[in-house]
Amino acid sequence: MGKLGRRALALLLACLSLFVIAACGDDDDGGGGSSGGGDGEAKKGGSITISQTSQPDYMDPALTYTVNGIEPLWLVYTPLITYAREEGPEGSKLIPGLAEDLPEISEDGLTYTLTLRKGLKYSDGSPVKAADFEHTIKRVLNLESGGSAFYLVIDGAQEYLDAGKPEGDISGIETNDETGEITITLTEPDGSFSHVLAMWFAALVPSDTPFKNMTENPPPGVGPYMVTESVPNRQFVLDRNPEYDKNPIDGIPSGNIDKITTKIIKSAQRQAQDVISGNLDYMQDPPPADIKPEVKAKYSDRYVEQTTASTYYFFMNTRVAPFDDPKVREAVNYGIDKPGLARIFAGELAPGCSFLPPGVPGFDEALDVDECPWGNPNEPPDLEKARALIKEAGVDGMDVTVYGNNDDPTDKVTEAYADMLTKMGFNAEPKILDGGVYFQTIGNQKTKAQTGFANWFQDFPHPKNFMFLVDGKSIQPTNNQNFGNVDDPEVTKGIAELNQEPDLTKAEDQWVELNKKLVERAWIVPYGHRKLSTFFSERMDFDNCRRFHPVYFNDYSSWCLK
Amino acid sequence: MATEPATETTLQGPAAWGEQAEKERVHGLGPWRLGLRRLRRNKVALLFGFLFILLVLVCAAAPLWADNIAKTGPTDGHLSDTITVNGEQKNVVGLDGVPIGPQYWKADGKFFLGADGNGRDIMVRLLYGGRNSLFIGVTAALMTAILSLLLGVVAGFFRGATDAVIRTVLDIMWSFPVIILGTALGVALALGGLKIGPLEIPGDSLAIPIFIIGLVYVPYMARPIRGQVLSLREKEFVEAARAQGAGPFRIMFSEVLPNLASTMIVFFTLLIANAVLLEAALSFLGAGVRPPNPSWGTMIDDGVERVATAPHLAVVPGVMLVLTVLSLNVFGDGVRDALDPRAKVRVEL
Repeated sequence: MGKLGRRALALLLACLSLFVIAACGDDDDGGGGSSGGGDGEAKKGGSITISQTSQPDYMDPALTYTVNGIEPLWLVYTPLITYAREEGPEGSKLIPGLAEDLPEISEDGLTYTLTLRKGLKYSDGSPVKAADFEHTIKRVLNLESGGSAFYLVIDGAQEYLDAGKPEGDISGIETNDETGEITITLTEPDGSFSHVLAMWFAALVPSDTPFKNMTENPPPGVGPYMVTESVPNRQFVLDRNPEYDKNPIDGIPSGNIDKITTKIIKSAQRQAQDVISGNLDYMQDPPPADIKPEVKAKYSDRYVEQTTASTYYFFMNTRVAPFDDPKVREAVNYGIDKPGLARIFAGELAPGCSFLPPGVPGFDEALDVDECPWGNPNEPPDLEKARALIKEAGVDGMDVTVYGNNDDPTDKVTEAYADMLTKMGFNAEPKILDGGVYFQTIGNQKTKAQTGFANWFQDFPHPKNFMFLVDGKSIQPTNNQNFGNVDDPEVTKGIAELNQEPDLTKAEDQWVELNKKLVERAWIVPYGHRKLSTFFSERMDFDNCRRFHPVYFNDYSSWCLK
Repeated sequence: MATEPATETTLQGPAAWGEQAEKERVHGLGPWRLGLRRLRRNKVALLFGFLFILLVLVCAAAPLWADNIAKTGPTDGHLSDTITVNGEQKNVVGLDGVPIGPQYWKADGKFFLGADGNGRDIMVRLLYGGRNSLFIGVTAALMTAILSLLLGVVAGFFRGATDAVIRTVLDIMWSFPVIILGTALGVALALGGLKIGPLEIPGDSLAIPIFIIGLVYVPYMARPIRGQVLSLREKEFVEAARAQGAGPFRIMFSEVLPNLASTMIVFFTLLIANAVLLEAALSFLGAGVRPPNPSWGTMIDDGVERVATAPHLAVVPGVMLVLTVLSLNVFGDGVRDALDPRAKVRVEL
């Protein structure tokens, strides 16, 4: 063999060795911290390194709308009211955050009055003022945040948005910096508005925070941690907030770990290997199917799975052919192989039909499984019926682009969905985008995304939080969360009416009916509800320092080292 | 590390063959027959050439395997399906997401090499992936050869400002490592595709990796060709043609190009090997062939995620890649030795 051959062979072997390298952990040291037995006392101090598979969509509380962003940022930014730091149903209970008490609601349900706690300071040492609340809501509206639709119920919010002047006024928000009083007036009663006030979008930031995406330089907040470094697609760092430790809020504990570095690592395989070896202390995504049996068998003392209030579904853009035809949407619901999709999730997905997930008022277990109008989700699909409907609609053989992102296993799910559509009679091709830009891309009307992957994890324990995704009123030109542009007048009206009832227990049966109507009309294709895992390194105190919050998932402030 | 120049500026190709034939005492044999005679004597090169042809034929037969034996296509998933193995029903993909391993002939050739995580037949994807990889490799090498020949001959023949411009562009491209330039172009073109005037190529088309690979190798071939043309244009036969009143284009086509033929053949063979390898690397990095289209690179990438429980997913396409590149390189070396024993042509990376 000549030199050229030997060189090419060497290159080739180097190329093949990539997969070996990819499986190896890096040399990054989590740093600090010492080991010790867990005796029920949370040890303070130390630093840890954790991982996410893709960059959070934004590192800005006004804009982020993915688990990747919310899980770390709820510890950095606190709204006027928030949720109890508890597991299970107790964690869905509202408690005062930056406000002294829960809001005082007028009898007509239109006015909410709160008073800011005294002596609060942001992480940069500047004082928190009542006026900051209005600025915070202005940023959410002005930046066309995915959460802006929640706040359009505030009187004057729509007018503020229409005027296009960032420094303009929202007439429905009155603040008094001297007394700390904040009065919010709504255009109509909104039964979920207390929960809306508890969302991270409404977490206060200083009034001089610019009206732009602050991902690379996140603004200061009030919370147990502060963002001290944010390098998109590489890493971001949370440090303990010394200002918060001086004046902590009742019910919101300070963190135990001093420094939490989150690295963006594409390979779930590598993340899992690094958690096993101790190079990483936690991975946000579950370990890949390949090594999950090993993790469950060997590391069960530091691995646990928890059910989440979440729904995985495919959106179908009702404004774009062929999904503008109800017959086609019904066909897709008949033809989706839900048990097959559950296998891609390696058992971490419970197949289901209901859009509202278990744990959210309005969830109907019968609709989810036995009485699913499209067939039992645990059984094979009715492909014949799907094909017949597609032929009847005259769209067989039509080109369909299926959108998905490259997070594991979303890419595989997207490929499987495209294959299923092809089996139904379309000519479907997957289009896999980067996880960091995926939801912005499909949420932009100019993309005209036909169909694709979507999922939703509970922002707050209220059916409105899921129904918002199919509410005709929430459709936006950009950052649209109603990816399929679902605009069913009856569903939209039902959401508006039921949402006026502040006592959720009184309206639960009607929410059940509305959810049923949505599923039966095939506006979307729900296919299951997700479990999430917590997988720690050996040096983390798994037994004593771990809290899985029903709204915000893993609570980093509860963690400690052994 | 190679210390020799990419080419010698001594006379190569047909212009040198007469002299060589004299040395080998094979008077009366034409240069091409002489080369063939030398190649026939190189048994190792012939063996690897045969191996390459065999690999091409096997990959070309992908539809036959898919339709008659596996009875499934390269992108057809069988997530919830079962197959009968020795009278026993088995899930193609288990409830825990682990796919079935190689079945060889136990299921009449179905899932011969097992399934991937989406329940797709690995053997079928391997063959179709080979077709894609080889198609991309050959087409990209062809594109490189044509562009390199054009630029190399024009720059070497006209010299002056033309040469300076072309040489500078090639030097700039040369300064970027192939894999980085390829990945950057691949990622940029994957989302929006490529638009050149009326020509529009979608981001998931195979034409995108072909274009990228075909482009990034141009400096590696155009520069040696330019050097050879610079030498050839000073030779007596070119002088004679010029004295007879031949114009520059006629001289290029009738005098210079025939003398580049052997170099081009050698380069082309070696370029295919490098193009196949680069395609695999780009696809592995997510900047080459787009899913669900298979290629050996994407299959290795998919297999990496399951290397602990199903190592064959990465190893099998890896072995095919090794055999293809090895066979092309050894055969390419043999062709070079046969056509131009004194040449030191290689693709310097």
